[in-house]
Amino acid sequence: MSLFLIAALPFLGAVLPALLVRASRNAAAGTAAGATALALIGVLTHAPAVMRGEVPMARAPWVPSLGLNANLMLDGLGLLFALLILGIGLLIILYARFYLTRRDPMGKFYALLLLFQGAMLGIVLSDNILMLLIFWELTSLSSFLLIGYWNHLPEGRQGARMALTVTGAGGLAMIAGALLLGQAAGSMELSDIIARREAVQASELYLPALILILAGCFAKSAQFPFHFWLPHAMAAPTPVSAYLHSATMVKAGLFLMARLWPALAGTDAWFLLAASVGLITMVLGAVTALFKDDLKGLLAYSTVSHLGLVTFLLGLGTPAGAVAAVFHIINHATFKAALFMTAGIVDHETGTRDIRRLGGLAAFMPVTFLIGAVAALSMAGVPPLNGFLSKEMMLHEAAHTAWLGSELALPVLAGLAALFSAAYSFRFVAHVFLGKPRLAHAEPPHDPVVWFWLPPAILASLTVLIGLFPQSMAGELVRAAAGAVTAGAAPEIKLKLWHGVNEALMISAAALAGGAAALALHGPLARVWAVVAPPAAKRAFDALVGAATAAARRLTDALHDGDFGRSAAIFSVFAAGLGAWAWTAGGAAPLGAFPAALGPTPPIPLIGWVCLVTATLTLTALHRHRLLALVLIGVTGLMVSLTFSYFSAPDLALTQISVEVVSIILLLLALNFMPRETPRESSAARRARDLAAAAAAGLGVGAAIYAILVGDFAFAPISEFHLANSKTGGGGENVVNVILVDFRGFDTFGEITVLGIAAVLIYALTETIMAGPVRARLLNRRPAEPQAGDAHPMMMVVATRVLMPIALTVAVYIFLRGHNAPGGGFIAGLIVSVAFVMQYMASGFSWAAARQRYPYHAFIGLGVLVAAATGMGAWFNGKPFLTSDFGYVKLPGLEKFELATAALFDLGVFLTVLGAVLLALESLARYAWRPNIASAHPMDIDPTRDEAAQREEGR
Amino acid sequence: MELLFASAVGLLTACGIYLILRRRSFPVIIGLSLLSYAVNLFLFASGRLAVNRPPLLHEGAAGYTDPIPQALVLTAIVISFGMTAVIVMIALSDHLTSRDDRVDAPAGGAADDGVEAPAAQEDAR
Amino acid sequence: MSHLPVLPIVLPAALAAFILMTMRHHLELQRIFSIAGSVALTAIAALLVARASDGQVHVYELGDWPAPFGIALALDRLSAMMVALTALLLLAVTLYAVGAGWDARGRHFHALLQFQAMGVCGAFLTADAFNLFVFFEILLIASYGLMIHAGGAERLRAGFQYVAYNLLGSTLFLFAMGALYAATGTLNMADLGVRIAQLPAEHAALARAGAALLILVFAVKAAALPVHFWLPGAYAAAPGPSAAMFAILTKVGVYAILRMRATAFPESAPALAGLSEAWLLPAALATALIGAAGVLGARGMARLAAFGTIASVGTLLIAAALFTPQSAAAALYYMPHSTLAAAVMFLAADMVTERRGDAIAPGPRMAHHALVAAVFFLGAVALAGLPPLSGFLGKLMIMDAARGHERVAWIWGVILVASLITLMGLARAGSDVFWRPAEGEGRAENREQDEDDAAAGPGPAAPAQPSAALTFVAAFALLAALAALTVLAGPAMRYADAAVAQLFDAGAYADAVLRRP
Repeated sequence: MSLFLIAALPFLGAVLPALLVRASRNAAAGTAAGATALALIGVLTHAPAVMRGEVPMARAPWVPSLGLNANLMLDGLGLLFALLILGIGLLIILYARFYLTRRDPMGKFYALLLLFQGAMLGIVLSDNILMLLIFWELTSLSSFLLIGYWNHLPEGRQGARMALTVTGAGGLAMIAGALLLGQAAGSMELSDIIARREAVQASELYLPALILILAGCFAKSAQFPFHFWLPHAMAAPTPVSAYLHSATMVKAGLFLMARLWPALAGTDAWFLLAASVGLITMVLGAVTALFKDDLKGLLAYSTVSHLGLVTFLLGLGTPAGAVAAVFHIINHATFKAALFMTAGIVDHETGTRDIRRLGGLAAFMPVTFLIGAVAALSMAGVPPLNGFLSKEMMLHEAAHTAWLGSELALPVLAGLAALFSAAYSFRFVAHVFLGKPRLAHAEPPHDPVVWFWLPPAILASLTVLIGLFPQSMAGELVRAAAGAVTAGAAPEIKLKLWHGVNEALMISAAALAGGAAALALHGPLARVWAVVAPPAAKRAFDALVGAATAAARRLTDALHDGDFGRSAAIFSVFAAGLGAWAWTAGGAAPLGAFPAALGPTPPIPLIGWVCLVTATLTLTALHRHRLLALVLIGVTGLMVSLTFSYFSAPDLALTQISVEVVSIILLLLALNFMPRETPRESSAARRARDLAAAAAAGLGVGAAIYAILVGDFAFAPISEFHLANSKTGGGGENVVNVILVDFRGFDTFGEITVLGIAAVLIYALTETIMAGPVRARLLNRRPAEPQAGDAHPMMMVVATRVLMPIALTVAVYIFLRGHNAPGGGFIAGLIVSVAFVMQYMASGFSWAAARQRYPYHAFIGLGVLVAAATGMGAWFNGKPFLTSDFGYVKLPGLEKFELATAALFDLGVFLTVLGAVLLALESLARYAWRPNIASAHPMDIDPTRDEAAQREEGR
Repeated sequence: MELLFASAVGLLTACGIYLILRRRSFPVIIGLSLLSYAVNLFLFASGRLAVNRPPLLHEGAAGYTDPIPQALVLTAIVISFGMTAVIVMIALSDHLTSRDDRVDAPAGGAADDGVEAPAAQEDAR
Repeated sequence: MSHLPVLPIVLPAALAAFILMTMRHHLELQRIFSIAGSVALTAIAALLVARASDGQVHVYELGDWPAPFGIALALDRLSAMMVALTALLLLAVTLYAVGAGWDARGRHFHALLQFQAMGVCGAFLTADAFNLFVFFEILLIASYGLMIHAGGAERLRAGFQYVAYNLLGSTLFLFAMGALYAATGTLNMADLGVRIAQLPAEHAALARAGAALLILVFAVKAAALPVHFWLPGAYAAAPGPSAAMFAILTKVGVYAILRMRATAFPESAPALAGLSEAWLLPAALATALIGAAGVLGARGMARLAAFGTIASVGTLLIAAALFTPQSAAAALYYMPHSTLAAAVMFLAADMVTERRGDAIAPGPRMAHHALVAAVFFLGAVALAGLPPLSGFLGKLMIMDAARGHERVAWIWGVILVASLITLMGLARAGSDVFWRPAEGEGRAENREQDEDDAAAGPGPAAPAQPSAALTFVAAFALLAALAALTVLAGPAMRYADAAVAQLFDAGAYADAVLRRP
């Protein structure tokens, strides 16, 4: 079976239960088991070849430029882990079917479990370190969901988040480490990396890579000081704990250390880091486990301790250590999974996991007792069970290695760990199954159905069989795996039960005896422990996370507190600073020849300058008086318009002045609803800050413009082309207009779109506002002062009626001459708009609206469409969008005149401008509708209804 | 003349920015208008200044000013007109809805401020 | 001649105008036309990608005037890819807005959405710097409309700030354009590049200032520190589908930075040497961190998504700041990822908000609890850059591209730390919103209900959703696109490499646009 298929099977199996959510619980379990079994068979078909030393591969390029390829391989180490993952996985699936209750969604559980299984399998099969990383992080994610499976429990949620944070952080360190390692080895393929030990260890990247990778492994495998997440992950359903903490999740770190052992191990740094951390973890976990009263807590810390043991063995960097490590991985998986399952059965049947409330269960649950006792004794290292064998190997290694310059430290510490290991194992048996029952049971607990205890029973019998017949049961597998770990350097060893009397056996015997003694003294020891126990890491972790969250919140809240002025000031100052830096960083002089350009100043610009500066300064000083500010900004706008006019820009001047008129009308209408004065509310410091920001921006702009004016173009500007081709190519004498409707007509197309969108936006906005509670408020608004005189003075009505045709004529004239003289569709549109606005002002909105036959939306839509259609017309000529055509037409009785498609485009501009301005003003006017002024309009509102609406609002 | 032009535009910019930094929507809008005057003049000046040389083709002209910046400024004026209309209406609608013409928003989406306590509790538990 | 390059601009514009003109009062018709238009745009985008993959720069001279005198559109691999991304996002957002009924809560949502697409596509296609300004204004003003759609005090206040801040940005754009025109006398990007490369030293200062400020304008659009302040409030207050559509707006900024640095502002030119990276890289690093901190500290779902957007843009900007071929390719790979992931998060936030309010706090089980949780979870995986979704690959690529850079430790550290902080924030939010029952609510009575609540219907607090199914179709379509981006990372990367090779070949671009022999 292809390795790809094997790796994919759990994921396919994860999809099926998810789809089968409505099917029966057995169907979910069945599909999960089926997928797992298939994958297991697939692995087994490869087993003989792997035992022979072949390495089946499957390769597929994924992102070759990154060195990331979907390359899989199955060597001895991979085979060992794949068998553990799938074999124990199968047992867990069976076990979970009976463990979970009706209230637990079964499909979801199996989907997550198989997702996790697939991620684990991916790790052990990967031949590419980046590929491995992907699966690595995937185990963090899927275990997050598994641990949080019972998410109604706070422990479940917190445990899940803690596991994700710690292992996720480790994973991120690992990313960096993997990239560095790949760089040092010159390849991302694991098979290459482990073959290039010298290159890796000689690289200056070795140490950072080692530290980062070990950090990731330690976080995953719950090594000190990252061990604290594991006990909290016990909030998961027990099948999850049994799976994650015996054979899989936590073994991933050990797997990777074993996988990279040929490339990384054997240096002082490796020994110091891995062996020391492993040793500390082993002792600390063992001691802590003895004093845990929660069954799963005890097992959790024992797991920590045993993981430390394997880390220690791998950290030794010797081939013999590697063999022992591999063997212990197998043994630990068997007895620990069995123990977790036993704990789950006890919990399931008695309703508690508290050791202090349990006892004497052996009488009620003999089968469970037998399973638990065998597995626990194996964990204690009691011969002839398998735990004894690998522990002996560990003690043997410890007895022959110096650590921190001491020959004695290792055997003593390892023996201490073995002692406590024996003690908590004994406690597991003695305090739970032996002694007197401490719990009053309504109905006595009993052994569960056979399918429930069968999985741990199988594992327990394995511990016996491996213990008795190590070589035939596990020898080949250990040899193959150890061979892969050590890249062939593993000594040929025969696993056997009896090695004769040696130091290891003596330490072991002492540890067992000591363990029994420690159990006898458990009460007093527990009181001592309560005093000397190290502080709970969870509290520190929670405080750290809490502090980080609070700091993040304080920082982001303070920065993004909705203070617009500050962010705008930062923007201004940053822009000014960046501009100044860019200006000077190139080594250029701050400004050109400063005084040389000071020519004589004619009087007209001087007068204009004085007016402009006075108006602007007065405006800024007196801006709190809003009406005055409007008048002054009108003056400023006028002066700007005159500036354009003076400097040979008649089109600009016309446009500026007509835009000015409409804008001021708009602002005046808006001001009608707003306060007339701006309150004085900025502190002096704030005003100073604002002045500084303003001065920086003003100085920058002034300096830049001065530099522009005293300098000249470095190259001929493109406009020479436009001047030369306007008449011949564009058919117009007003070059600006030809640029707008022809050379750069696309800009204009975009510009009228902007205007159209603006009007539509305003319309939509007022519709929304008027559909809400604001409408009632507006209707009940009392004018601040009584309306002066007649709302529609006769004089004005008459005047606007007369002006209307004149304005229209002027507009047509301006429109038509635009191509050759200042004018065009935009200005014409504004003029007609102003004429209409005058009508509104004179006769009221309703009068005008009643005579309004086409909705302004249509004008806008039509305008954009006309412009677009004109542009598309060129397509029929085989020309690009907006290609204009023009010709001269001679009609009898008239002078020869020119017809250009650009005029049609300009018509689109005209229509859009007209529609947009009128729609905007109409929308604004809707705020002003008042039943007592406007005549009955179909959309006018019945005030009684609005009172009802207001009452509604008040409720 | 260059100095007059440059100082006027600089002043318009500075006053515009100062008004934009006020705390009520009306002065902000006025400030944006001033700023748009300033930038239009700036853009206009990028073609350099010329007196009595409008870009209207006719025979015997001494020369023409650069028409491109004029076309750009025209586009910019129209666009900024649309933008002004939009921001005025948004400011007005904001004022009508919240009965307040302040510019600053409540910090951090104040609507959900009350939820902090329980969220923190869980972390502390 | 083929008019394909102009269609992504003209089609949405004409469609929007048509909707305005003929079907203002027919929401159903608007929906049909809007969805049809999005589908058509997607099809056009596919054709564009096919067309661009021949490696040529396809130039479309509007008005038949040669560049730099007229405005030209230039279609290359990069712009085709960005248009395709826009079309895809538009389609999903349109479906979501229809499904959630957002388009019925105010007027003209569909017209504004189409106008938005027009502006974005135009910005990706134009080869003229001033025309780029015009398209920026189109996409901005449409976004103003989409942002304040449906009104409300908080949204209008945020909208005012959003508009005002962007008006500042537009003003700066014009200042920069003025300076560049004054220094070079041209507006076309390729021509700018050609002229700046030959710029005499005495004119360099003006061009430098103009170029730096223009990049700053794009940094504003991209929401880089310290000019990102407009984003959190605006995007958090915007309607969900609008915010999802805005995910592409920040990318317009990043696109423009890449395009301009490659085409118009060649840093090989003595005039512009070392102009951008010096400040862009620190800004990008700070952006990634502040975004991550915002995710961790967020109190509301929408703000979480907004800061998530900032964080991913920061990561993207790191790649854009380094500006080597390798980092640019990584940026192009990360770009669609970042867009789609941010969009999914906004949709997820909207789903939660519509059902039980925005707060990241324990609450009642909501309608479609499991489905919403799935959207959030997958979106979070994408946003945090975790495997198996494309964000992880993208981050790996960016880190890989930063190898050998003098600040590599900073870059890697920031990317990884920001990932961790984001991850913590997302885990906290997800656990609080989806896992923690409200006070007094115990374990749900029937856990099997978990998978079964599609039948449960909206709770009492949930407003009627016309078609919840459509909203999930939209969200899962985006997630499927992310999955495809992951699985097809190899081909995607080949495309990105080719696009970058084309992007960095400024000479070929100028040859095509300026019709140089």
